Amino acid sequence: MPMMIQEMMWTRPPQQAMAKNTFSSEFRNIDVDQYNEDNYKDDDGEPQSPPIGVDEATIVSLMNAGNHADALKLLLANAPVASKGKNEQAKDMALNLVLKVLLSVNKSQMDQIISSLDKTQLDVLMKYIYRGFERPSEGSSAILLIWHEKVYNAGGVGCIVRVLTDRKRV
Amino acid sequence: MSATLRPYLNAVRHTLSAAMCLHNFNSQVVERHNKPEVEVRSSKELLMTAVVVSRNEKEKVLIEPSINSIRISISIKQADDIERILCHKFMRFMMMRAENFIILRRKPVQGYDISFLITNFHTEQMFKHKLVDFVIHFMEEIDKEISEMKLAVNARARECAMEYLKRF
Repeated sequence: MPMMIQEMMWTRPPQQAMAKNTFSSEFRNIDVDQYNEDNYKDDDGEPQSPPIGVDEATIVSLMNAGNHADALKLLLANAPVASKGKNEQAKDMALNLVLKVLLSVNKSQMDQIISSLDKTQLDVLMKYIYRGFERPSEGSSAILLIWHEKVYNAGGVGCIVRVLTDRKRV
Repeated sequence: MSATLRPYLNAVRHTLSAAMCLHNFNSQVVERHNKPEVEVRSSKELLMTAVVVSRNEKEKVLIEPSINSIRISISIKQADDIERILCHKFMRFMMMRAENFIILRRKPVQGYDISFLITNFHTEQMFKHKLVDFVIHFMEEIDKEISEMKLAVNARARECAMEYLKRF
């Protein structure tokens, strides 16, 4: 008799016991890989505040003074680089300014400007050129193509490879 | 307009040479599988920045590199309806025979007319610089062929119309 009572305490009505286990298959939809500690995270510890982009007025005044080289250098030095998806707004504003400067420079000045840039600035410039290609407007691609060729001549294949592999996009 | 053709093709060539550094890489997700990562897109760290080279608003090339594969999508210039139809049929013709083409993708990427998928196995069997040469040559020839076809269509239409109207 005592055995039977014990058994009755441990067993539940069959329907409840079985159903709880197999009815719901929600667990199959969970992506277990995201909880894996080895997972690659794009930005490891990047709470740094984005560098304040250059303000438009400075750039416009430099351009009006004909000083495109300095305008470009300023923009390249303060480019808001971050991994994909972060800081998009600042990136877009910076892109507009850079494109404005790039499209207003004439061919004769390009060589001079490029020779005055160092390796990192060339890489950032190349990133901007590719982003400029993504939104073609009248005649913009033609000028960007010339820029691309000249920067390639200065930076080599490595410049393009760094654009492709750098996780910090511009 | 044709002044941009040479720089455009050069830019594409340089970008392709830079992007076509492919390496064998087994799938991280499924054991014993080897998939082109640019198609699977399962792990962020294996994909590189996708890049566009455009000649104008209509013509552009999208290059999506990854560790073991690269996807090249081309958007071809189509000025009017005839060219649109010709281009579409021509691309369809080639894509149906994609197996013989080896590096062609059966469906173009959304927004483009034709796509190539080159994996590390292709670069192991074929010369990298020759593959790049091929893609550039393809881009040059397509425009010429479509113009030729358009002229042929117009010439044929004129002949037919003349023959028909001779009766009246």
